[in-house]
Amino acid sequence: MKRPRLFNLFLLTCGTALGILILLPVLALLLAASPTGLLKLFTQPQVLQALWITLLSSLLALPMIFLLGLPSAYGLSRCSGRVRRSLEVLLELPMVMPPVVAGLALLLAFGRRGLLGDLLNGVGLRIPFTLGAVVLAIVFVITPFFVRRCVVLFDAIEQKLEEAALLLGATPLQTFWHVTLPVVRRGLFAEGVMALAQGVGLFGVIILFAGNLPGRTQTLSLAIYSAFESDPQQAFSLGALLLLISLLLLATVHLLAPPEGGR
Amino acid sequence: MNDLICRLHYPLANFDLAAELTVPPGVTVILGPNGTGKSSLLRLLAGLNQPVSGQIMLGERCLYDAEKQIFLPPEQRRIGMVFQDLALFPHLNVSGNIGFGLKMRRTSSGERQKKVQQLLEKLSIKHLAERDVATLSGGERQKVALARTLATDPQLLLLDEPTASLDPSARGEIRRWLQAVLTRLRIPTLLVTHDAEEVAYFRKRVVVMEQGQIIQQGSFHQLLREPASEFVARFVGVNYILGDVREQSGKLAFYSRGGTKFLAPFEQVVPGPAFMTVLPWDIALYRELPDGSPRNNLYGEIHDVVIFGDRVRITLAQEDKLVAEISTRGYLALGEPQPGEKFWAVFKAREARIESYEESPC
Repeated sequence: MKRPRLFNLFLLTCGTALGILILLPVLALLLAASPTGLLKLFTQPQVLQALWITLLSSLLALPMIFLLGLPSAYGLSRCSGRVRRSLEVLLELPMVMPPVVAGLALLLAFGRRGLLGDLLNGVGLRIPFTLGAVVLAIVFVITPFFVRRCVVLFDAIEQKLEEAALLLGATPLQTFWHVTLPVVRRGLFAEGVMALAQGVGLFGVIILFAGNLPGRTQTLSLAIYSAFESDPQQAFSLGALLLLISLLLLATVHLLAPPEGGR
Repeated sequence: MNDLICRLHYPLANFDLAAELTVPPGVTVILGPNGTGKSSLLRLLAGLNQPVSGQIMLGERCLYDAEKQIFLPPEQRRIGMVFQDLALFPHLNVSGNIGFGLKMRRTSSGERQKKVQQLLEKLSIKHLAERDVATLSGGERQKVALARTLATDPQLLLLDEPTASLDPSARGEIRRWLQAVLTRLRIPTLLVTHDAEEVAYFRKRVVVMEQGQIIQQGSFHQLLREPASEFVARFVGVNYILGDVREQSGKLAFYSRGGTKFLAPFEQVVPGPAFMTVLPWDIALYRELPDGSPRNNLYGEIHDVVIFGDRVRITLAQEDKLVAEISTRGYLALGEPQPGEKFWAVFKAREARIESYEESPC
């Protein structure tokens, strides 16, 4: 019985090391930012603007993520075999794309000289370097993650529930709306908050596709980047602020997520 | 008449489901061993799976026709189905579950509530109306599931093992309740089960399925008298003995696999593989072989004694196995036989029914 104990010790050591790796920088950041420094942030118009743009862009992206993501996820969870696997690979594409590359790719698709450039110019729409670009970047990066997690939710639904609804005369759309969605509503809410949390932190893709224009496209992440060059202490405070927002969202997810089903 | 008439073909994992069935209004029980395609048959009728060929007619309506390429989706079939695991909606309370079908049909809220109330009263579950379905007992869940289905006025009702998931104490009550509710309905109802007691509640029309085929249809009484297979015989509790009919000096005799010779009327029987059935209550037990008219007899050791109220079932086994059912009085008169004691099982030749086997059973 010696080996298992040694093995357990090994597991424990690795786990502890990982725990320290995660917590140490978080702690360092929170220590570097003083409470007064944090409070002072709220007196600076530029910070408030960045905060506003961060929240606004994420909140605007959310309905689009749901609108595109939910039906796609449901459809995907109905698929099986090769079709499903190829669609899943398609979803993984934006996930593995380096954020900077994603920003470039978005520019080349929606930019003035991009693939859709003429079309967008024709209707007088200019996307890059606007709030719209921030939103589009978030939707582009976050939706695949959202869809992946929602597929897991939909897969877990007992198919009999939907069949029972159909046999009671509900159309497939009614079944989706009145049975499928309500059954996973807690999970969906948690996924929505998770998408917000992820969107708030984007950097690479936004700076390339939307630029770093204070008051227009500068989110908190971008503001940290700008501040770090001139005033590191300001960057630390902003970093702590962003971290607190993320922690808050994470806590919300976990308060909502656990008791799926069974009310 | 609003009969269900169907002819279906559908491949299953190990065999093909090939069923032809007519179901008149009233309860018809589908009986068969587990994994024989009973639930698949219900799913095909409900439109949850599509057969490869065949036709389903419900009254005048065609639900499925392979040749005419008609396949009505489940939501247009007006078929009520109660799943084995019931599938109550966890996000709705009891009234919400029962009213679901009406809500989907855009019935006005007032009318819906009226209908739900009526059903709750009719099925005597009014006290459950506002309950969360997660807090219901197994029997209550069963009642709510049936109420939910009946709320949409189905033209065909499918029940998949309605009491299988209940604990034995609730089973009897639900069976009586089901019997009371179902016999009042005027629609074709198919009730799937693999439980003999359930069949006894709905004994008029029984359909036996084995390996995807319908092998016998009739009343429970007919099954008892003329079981078409070993499964049916064992299921209804009839002795079923395999053997051969041989011709010896112009006379027929049945020899069991165990080598015992039995006599019977031998109507329409030809020499060759055959099986014999005897009802347990036609068999008498004796310590000493009685004299008198020629009878069938088997000497063997008692393996098992089961007392059900005023009846006692005694299993006698040697080379062949026979189950005898005698009255408790008879049992006491024999001096309460115990396992291990040796007895003669005796029955008249005319109580034995022998039938040829088309193919040699393996």
